[in-house]
Amino acid sequence: MSEIAVAAPNNSFVASRRRQLVIALIVFAAIALIPRAVSDVYTMNVLILTLLFAALSQSWNILGGYCGQVSLGHALYFGIGAYATSILFVKFGIVAWGGMLAGGVLSALVALALGYPCFRLKGHYFSIATIVIAEIGLLLVHNWDYGGAALGIQWPFNPDSWWTLQFARDKVPYFYFVLGLFAVTWLVTYAIVESRWGYWWRAVKDDPDAAESLGVTVFNSKMGAAAISAFFTAIGGGFYAAFVSYIDPESVMHFRFSLLMALPAVLGGVGSLWGPAVGALILIPMAELTRSYLGGTGSGLDLVIYGLLVMVVSLTQPEGIMGIFKRSAKKADAKVEA
Amino acid sequence: MNRREVLLAGAAMSLASTSLASTRAFAQAGAEIPIGVIWPLSGPSAQIGVDAKHALETAAEIVNGSFDIDVPTAKNAGLAGLGNAKIKLIFADHQGDPQKGRAEAERLITQDKVVALVGAFHSSVSATVSASCERYAIPYLAADSSSPSLHRRNLKFFFRAAAHDEIFSQGMFDFLDAQKKAGKKIETIGLFYEDTIFGTDSSNVQRKLAQDRGYKVVADIKYRSNSPSLTSEVQQIKSADPDVLMPSSYTTDSILLMKTMDELGYKPKNLVAQAAGFADKATFDAVGDKLTGLISRASFSIDMAAKRPSVAKVNEMFKARANRDLNDNTSRQLTSILVLADAIDRAKSTDGEKIRAALAATDTPGEKTIMPWKRIKFGEDGQNVDADPVLIQYIGGKFVTVYPENVAVAAAKWPMNG
Repeated sequence: MSEIAVAAPNNSFVASRRRQLVIALIVFAAIALIPRAVSDVYTMNVLILTLLFAALSQSWNILGGYCGQVSLGHALYFGIGAYATSILFVKFGIVAWGGMLAGGVLSALVALALGYPCFRLKGHYFSIATIVIAEIGLLLVHNWDYGGAALGIQWPFNPDSWWTLQFARDKVPYFYFVLGLFAVTWLVTYAIVESRWGYWWRAVKDDPDAAESLGVTVFNSKMGAAAISAFFTAIGGGFYAAFVSYIDPESVMHFRFSLLMALPAVLGGVGSLWGPAVGALILIPMAELTRSYLGGTGSGLDLVIYGLLVMVVSLTQPEGIMGIFKRSAKKADAKVEA
Repeated sequence: MNRREVLLAGAAMSLASTSLASTRAFAQAGAEIPIGVIWPLSGPSAQIGVDAKHALETAAEIVNGSFDIDVPTAKNAGLAGLGNAKIKLIFADHQGDPQKGRAEAERLITQDKVVALVGAFHSSVSATVSASCERYAIPYLAADSSSPSLHRRNLKFFFRAAAHDEIFSQGMFDFLDAQKKAGKKIETIGLFYEDTIFGTDSSNVQRKLAQDRGYKVVADIKYRSNSPSLTSEVQQIKSADPDVLMPSSYTTDSILLMKTMDELGYKPKNLVAQAAGFADKATFDAVGDKLTGLISRASFSIDMAAKRPSVAKVNEMFKARANRDLNDNTSRQLTSILVLADAIDRAKSTDGEKIRAALAATDTPGEKTIMPWKRIKFGEDGQNVDADPVLIQYIGGKFVTVYPENVAVAAAKWPMNG
């Protein structure tokens, strides 16, 4: 008898989880078809950046959204990935894939080393610490002669190849790479949120003291979230280096990257599976298109529109855009119960 | 005629016109040659882009109109080689970001079908934009990006008529050598530079030149740009007291340096600056009284108008738009469009390869430019080696050209406080 009582809620839970997964796979498949319809280089560039920032924001979301540790220093991990990939490729001839993996592992280790002191800080103090550490990282790289210091690192011209991730004119391979990265970050998030870690993270986010008293090892779960988040951010950074074929400290470790990773998640909905993607889908094309088609006037109108949009969303939808869906879903539930 | 027929007719016509020779297509009334220009039009360096816009539009006006100015393509309206076709500048904003610069370059090339690109102030952006141009076989002309690394990448489509940082520093040391020959005492040098790409590059070259030419570097001071205090740095300079102090600083640091030296009661024997902050009007508004006798390198000097009449005429046209005189940056930007238009004119084509070949064959004497250069002739690497800089000295509240001799209007006052 007890089996049935337990099975009933479980069934609906399993069904909704499965539904989420099916929807995700359909979405990924649909996105994968886009290059068949779009061949314009510029449009592809916008789509690639959108997917990249969806993936980066999804990684940020693991630590910032689910675990509630708002990091404004993820540019550090992005930079580590970009520099590791560039240095290993340009100076040692190691293919981009190896560099990205190495950068990811290094980033995760750095996140653990930094998390050890920083996770003792709470709330805003933690956020401020992340900003400061990322800025220190930027200064160090600025003065790091082996890493090109302020001059940066230029990728040499190479024939088109999936190994080196170098394609002279073709954008489609980059598109599939970032789509893959986005799918992986989504699936990892999907797998973790309903695991024990996922529950721990949300408990830590809601009230770390209460969570601790209930047996959650708060510190370790924060460290885990930081390491996973940093790993994928660095992969994104490595991809960015291969994609642009040139990096310098300002162009990969500037504070704006930290914001660009947090902003889509905040706009779309913090701690939700699709929030970062929805946020990126609005922010990135918006920023790119306004710059390209209004920026040439030099009037700054593009930035005004961009700022206005962010304000409107944060005023009318403080929970993020995904909040709209949640609310309508709740309404539907309420109707069924009534 | 219904709508479908109109569309079909339109399509047929556009097909027909593409099959015509490009010269004839451009000869049709209203046909314009699109040139992509890419500068920071918003963000922290927006002012540079806004100034650049005035300069570039002035250049387009010179090319497209008919003027009695002794620079190529000015005389007749439009480009004679392409049936008097006019050029059309298409602006793009890169905000100082190499990734955005690259994306914009690709957009201009694939969507707007520009025949060449010009840019970009930031050397980092020039690096990615020129790589994209190379991949699409379209010439790129670096107007005001001065990093020496840019022309050392074996790019076929990269050109730079203006000097790079090493040529600038060479000019400064050539001047020092000339002073030494004239019997002035110059033995020790102090380097003072900020820690971004500009100061790093500049100091590296100066250190090497000082060694090669037998000057002793007695102070080698790197500082954090936009630093709130330079007291300890100035104390180091004061104790070393070099014969020549060579600062590479942006505006705020230049002002702070001069104020701090004044507070600590130190007067440098001679100041020979790598432009930047020491060529900015804001610096002279703030600490001009302490800068009498300062020498700075420059790509351009407005008093050259005495020796080159074209400078005054072009400057007037620019002033009508921008309400200020041409300076280091705007003169180089303006010249870049003239160089490119001249090449397109000679290429008699809008094909990337042909324009490249015409650029490579450029040989314009200095007198036919508004710059102090000997001439414009690109090397294998796309760099013009004859882009001599000038040295200007701040005397009586304005700059006068003091070096090299062919454009100098006065002799240098040396030592500056003597």
